[in-house]
Amino acid sequence: MTDKRFRDDLSRQGLGRRRLMGAGALGAAGWIAGGGGWLLAPKGAYAADAIKMGIATDITGAIAPSGNADWQVAQFTVEQINKGGGVLGRPIELYLEDTASDPKIAVGNVRKLIQERKVDVVLGGITSAMRQAIKDPIVNRGRTLYIYPQLYEGQECTKHLYCTGPTPAQQCDKLIPYLIKTVGKKRFAMPSANYVWPQLLNKYARKVIEANGGEVVFEEYYPLDQAEYSATIGKIRDGKVDCVFNTVIPPGLQPFFKQLYESGFQKRGGALACVYFDENLLNYLPAEEMDGLYSCLDYFQSVADPFSKQLQADYAKRFPDTKYLFTAGSAATGMYRGIKLYEVAVKATNGDLKREVVSAAYDKAKIDQGPGGGAEMVPAHMHCKMNMYIAQCKVDAGKPRYDIIGKSDMVDPKEC
Amino acid sequence: MLSEAESELAISSPSEKKRRGAAGRARRFRRVLPYIEVGALVVALVLPFVLGDRTDLVTLATNVLILSMLAISFDLCWGLAGIMSFGQALFFGVAGYAIALVGRDLDFSDIWGTLPLAMLVGLCLSGLFAAFLLLGRTTPSIIFVAFGTLTGSYAAERLVSGWQYVGAGNGLSSVKLLKLGAYEFVEGDTFYFLALGLLLLVYLAARYFKRSQLGLVLAGMRQNEERLAFLGYRVQLFKALLFSFAGLVAGLGGALYSYHQGFIGPGNMGPGLSTTAVIYCLLGGSGTLIGPVFGTATVEVLSYALSDIDAIRHIWPVVLGLVLLLVVMFQPRGIVGLFVSDRERIGSYGRRRSSS
Amino acid sequence: MGDEVKLAFDLLAFISVMVLIVLGLGIIASMMGIFNFAHGEFVLLGAYTVYLFESSGWSAWAGILAAPVVLAIVGLVLERLVIRRFYAAPIVAMLGTYAIGLMIRETIRALLGGQYKSINEPLSGAFTVFGLNFSVWRTVIVLTTILVIAGTWLFLSRTSTGLQVRGALENPNLARACGISTGKLYAATFAFGAALAGLAGALIVPLYQLSADIGTRFLVQAFLSVMLGGVGTFEGPVLGAAAVGGMAAGLPWIVIPVLADPLVFVIALAIVKFRPQGFITQGRI
Repeated sequence: MTDKRFRDDLSRQGLGRRRLMGAGALGAAGWIAGGGGWLLAPKGAYAADAIKMGIATDITGAIAPSGNADWQVAQFTVEQINKGGGVLGRPIELYLEDTASDPKIAVGNVRKLIQERKVDVVLGGITSAMRQAIKDPIVNRGRTLYIYPQLYEGQECTKHLYCTGPTPAQQCDKLIPYLIKTVGKKRFAMPSANYVWPQLLNKYARKVIEANGGEVVFEEYYPLDQAEYSATIGKIRDGKVDCVFNTVIPPGLQPFFKQLYESGFQKRGGALACVYFDENLLNYLPAEEMDGLYSCLDYFQSVADPFSKQLQADYAKRFPDTKYLFTAGSAATGMYRGIKLYEVAVKATNGDLKREVVSAAYDKAKIDQGPGGGAEMVPAHMHCKMNMYIAQCKVDAGKPRYDIIGKSDMVDPKEC
Repeated sequence: MLSEAESELAISSPSEKKRRGAAGRARRFRRVLPYIEVGALVVALVLPFVLGDRTDLVTLATNVLILSMLAISFDLCWGLAGIMSFGQALFFGVAGYAIALVGRDLDFSDIWGTLPLAMLVGLCLSGLFAAFLLLGRTTPSIIFVAFGTLTGSYAAERLVSGWQYVGAGNGLSSVKLLKLGAYEFVEGDTFYFLALGLLLLVYLAARYFKRSQLGLVLAGMRQNEERLAFLGYRVQLFKALLFSFAGLVAGLGGALYSYHQGFIGPGNMGPGLSTTAVIYCLLGGSGTLIGPVFGTATVEVLSYALSDIDAIRHIWPVVLGLVLLLVVMFQPRGIVGLFVSDRERIGSYGRRRSSS
Repeated sequence: MGDEVKLAFDLLAFISVMVLIVLGLGIIASMMGIFNFAHGEFVLLGAYTVYLFESSGWSAWAGILAAPVVLAIVGLVLERLVIRRFYAAPIVAMLGTYAIGLMIRETIRALLGGQYKSINEPLSGAFTVFGLNFSVWRTVIVLTTILVIAGTWLFLSRTSTGLQVRGALENPNLARACGISTGKLYAATFAFGAALAGLAGALIVPLYQLSADIGTRFLVQAFLSVMLGGVGTFEGPVLGAAAVGGMAAGLPWIVIPVLADPLVFVIALAIVKFRPQGFITQGRI
């Protein structure tokens, strides 16, 4: 209700499209608290036949930092598209629903996007739990296209559900051989948060470790909010582990890293690898606990290609001093890719938004540029090829950063 | 045994008793509850037609009906049996998981099989809990029972969130749709009427319990458990029976919830939802059965309406807490207590005498 | 050998955390018969106080010192306004304190924007004894816990106020008849319990992270500790906390961690069922 009235008001005041464009990106897309969630609507005459895009992400709750980064990147990307004239002249309208880091709440809120807002596509979900919970209301019951942007455990082969984040194969195939062959670590421990991403990632990682001559000393799962890890630290020490392949996530992460560091694991020459670590995590933990940590993602801010640099600069201009960074680990790069691929797909269908049609086009979509490089859907495999980077965390005068130590081009997701 | 203040929360206050004594003699005793009950039923019957094609609101209304079962289940424990259960969601959640698993692993979701199964799961589980918590040589303290239910629900939530077979922290999603023959219940009017019909059955059964001679025993128990025990009633057994029945009701609700949402997760069996049920019931008015339904509707509709207003969304749980606090402190009889006399709230038992 | 010492230390540190959290809860439960469901939120408020001090440029130490004071005031105000209506009505008290806890927790969740905040230890790093590394902050926690236990014990056993408290605990009516103002004592007890919770929160927050759920994470365990140890005594809850904390840290050695976690609750509940009076039935002070 409110948003429509507001929009009418604005057009009556003669705030046409050109003038708003001049006001810059922030002005071009006003913030309107609507009757449901947030609506980011481009003003002007063409708002009527806009493409409705739903974003379901965690604005509050445990993983709110990632969710907010996701939401900002979605706004940023859509504003760029709208500024360039939209998709075939049609603007994209963004609708946000908070999934609140709680699948129970999310299921209800996502339904609003589908039933009340009637969006054409939904992007979002960060944890696997969230994806599992919301995919059914979106894809099956809601008959809507769903794009999942986060790095994840793989094996999601639902029709009309496309994944634009890295898979275990993309994250492990280069990193683990590097750890074994180049860094020279042989005995791996896999402490993990107990949910599906660590389970399946570890399954894949274990295969790669063993194929490369390494050994898994133990693989163990903890409640997500585990507060006490002395038993784990004991096993790491007793097992003479020299590489911890960590998939413990916050809130259990903080006490684990603290106890691991206090036990002197790193000082004894142990290596720590954690494939979800991006720039956001650098501000999250004391720097010394992360010194030397290996990560492998589709993008790091230290990647030097000009397009990525420009993207970062534009993002910084749009959200000055934001604490929600444009990084890989929090699904933000996947979000960018997902939206751009959707743009390509809708162009390919000549503006037909029917799910089956767009979905068929999405399956073959390809973008040449993006954070860390382009991306290309692997037809009939629901996942996309992308560049992958191995990086190591270095601490200089208490300030952590990532140094890129390896790049592989257009890595195959090996899924479905 | 309940202390004075607690029986106030469950039944009525001493000062109220005095007032009632005076006013009750002066005024003819009029029944209000049946009118409220019939009114609520009529509203519930026409609601989907009023809502028309607002599927999201029908979904919300269905949700209210389903959660009402949980609230009634809690009311059976607290309002009728005087058991403070902080774990009512446990039976709700476990039954929801049970039918989701039956759907996933046995590919079966036929209404004639799964709903009775869910009730059975709820009944057995709550029966076991009742046996552990309530029965035994020593009479358990009411606090032990309260913590027992709380702990059970909390431990179950944590166990399930770590158990891969049941989806661990992810819960179970893509729950098979509930089927009647070849017909599949998706969210919408039919599911609404199914939930309404089942809620009505549950309500009538609970009402029968409350108004029967058993209800009289229970009312006596809440007032003075020791005296009842002295009179030869096996008080703990009565409590256990009612607790088990409440578990059955919660189980049915859990199954419907699971089918309706297409998702069930560890949070659906934890203390969070359990205490929400407490809020539903106390806000609406415990011991009245219809009160919990009102409480559920009030809380859920308001949360839905307010969740979009950013400023309020964040403080909404705070408001709920404040409401609970105020209810506990100043209006232990809840919303329904505003309209219904205590005499009627506590009820009359057996057949009603012709003169009144 | 060294590893065992180190692990024993980790265990001791975790038990200290549990004891710190449980102590305030136990004192309030023993003295007033109230199981304070808002205790987890008192812990949270203590942690939040440190965060406020730290984020506004003060030293975290100031926050740690301020937390018990802040919480004592909060406790006193709540006792005067709300809690005193709940005496001798344990279930109403549970609901009422739950409601208070919910309000505090959700307010802070909103203030934090639902996020996790890291707070660095005021004393970070480790010190080395016989070639073994010990975390400085965990040592501080262990020592503080010992000090608090000793201090509380001395207060209860050696001072005349302590005697009044014990008297009111044994027999409130008789205590009142002797001219002891139980009302004041109760208010003071509640404030003291809250202050202990605040201290606990302030000390543990660097180990974990500040989130709205930092206190509730330990609440059920704390309740079980009190029941396990025995309501109505001073030592009981301490022993109970040691038992529960020891189980929570020790069980992952024997069974897989995800199973160990709920198992702690089941074992504790079963013990309470078959020994409802708790470990300690008679106070020994």
